[in-house]
Amino acid sequence: MLRPFELSEPTSVAEASELLARHGDAARIYAGGTELILAMKEGLVHYEHLVNVKTIPGLAGVRLDAGTLRLGAATSHRALERDPLVRQHFPAVARMEADVANVRVREVGTLGGNLCFAEPHADPGTLLQVFDATARIEKKGSARTIPLEGLFVGPFETCLEGDELLTEIVVPPLPSRSAAAYLKFGFLERPSVGVAVAVTLDDGHVADARIAVGCVGPVPRRMREAEAELRGKPRTETGAALATAGRIAGRAADAITDLHGSAEYKEHLVGVLLRRAWDQALAAIDGSPRR
Amino acid sequence: MKVEREVTIAAPRETVWDFLWDVPRLAGCIPGARDVRTIEERKTYTAVVADKVGPFKVQFPLTIEVVDVQAPERLRVRANGRDTAVDGLVKVDLDVTVTPAETGTALKVAADISVLGKLGTLGHSVIVRRGTDIVDRFAQAVRAQLEAKA
Repeated sequence: MLRPFELSEPTSVAEASELLARHGDAARIYAGGTELILAMKEGLVHYEHLVNVKTIPGLAGVRLDAGTLRLGAATSHRALERDPLVRQHFPAVARMEADVANVRVREVGTLGGNLCFAEPHADPGTLLQVFDATARIEKKGSARTIPLEGLFVGPFETCLEGDELLTEIVVPPLPSRSAAAYLKFGFLERPSVGVAVAVTLDDGHVADARIAVGCVGPVPRRMREAEAELRGKPRTETGAALATAGRIAGRAADAITDLHGSAEYKEHLVGVLLRRAWDQALAAIDGSPRR
Repeated sequence: MKVEREVTIAAPRETVWDFLWDVPRLAGCIPGARDVRTIEERKTYTAVVADKVGPFKVQFPLTIEVVDVQAPERLRVRANGRDTAVDGLVKVDLDVTVTPAETGTALKVAADISVLGKLGTLGHSVIVRRGTDIVDRFAQAVRAQLEAKA
């Protein structure tokens, strides 16, 4: 049963930060509540104060700024899935968002809420990393920007300080002749394995390869050693390199045996999803007009 | 879930075995343990073990029973407890073996940890990771304690 709590509806980031500072551990940000309220209902966690950031003007919304996508942290998954700018310029992001949980979660759940709850079995944190996305973090009187990768500290833990808020996720465009793809697999409510790739081709060669793996380890992360296997390879001769990259990424993913499957199974799936996501990204490059 | 860890300690087997019965010092090696009490010497103990993952905090008041003693090489204990706040039940079967090794003594800790209730279902992955980590830290701490003294 949900125990009573006080709900504040600040109208600015500074006010929200002040409320968080004032109430300390007794307060938590409410940014959709699809995970938080569930945990509170189950009695796994309790807060006396919830600070609703969805009411802060300007914290939700999508902007395209010289090719860079700027996503307000309080933007819902549903809004991202349907946004024309996201769909046109970052189709992989729109597709990933369209497949987050279910439509009820997507309607109220927000990108920032998803990232900050830091449940390891989530999608956005993995895909956004192959875009080298950054997170803008604000509190009363100051702001900082960090690589999104650095946001995740551990399961359910971010680097945010008590009075800080994630306000914006900044997604730079990929170079020309590039595409990204995200694939996941799971048989429980949440995904068991998620793999994201971003590929850049140049004259028949792999100019850049970025790989991120999520759900498997405590936090989603880039697999730079696996990426190095693919860089510089002719696009038609990536078979062996992909297999090696899959094995490296599988091992580096830090899998454990749990209800989602055995560690070996998940490591294997990383390789399978990597190959499929890679093919999907290449097909997307081939299918798009040359810029 | 089953976790097994083995460490080699630069100390004689008897020293390692005796350490396992030195309740205050041993308790100091269990991450998050406090209020360790002896109810019946070498038979029953109680303790509270607390842990925290992000915003989730659990606290298990445990009853620890010694199931089997084969001095000086094997000790089996069973711990049970319930966290009433989050409705989680924990059961740990611990099998500790102490055998001579080439360079000292091998301490093997095999733990079979079950977490039941809502906590077990919702947080299974995290529990597996934490459980492994706790057994690991316990084995390392025992070694550190014994080698520091030696």
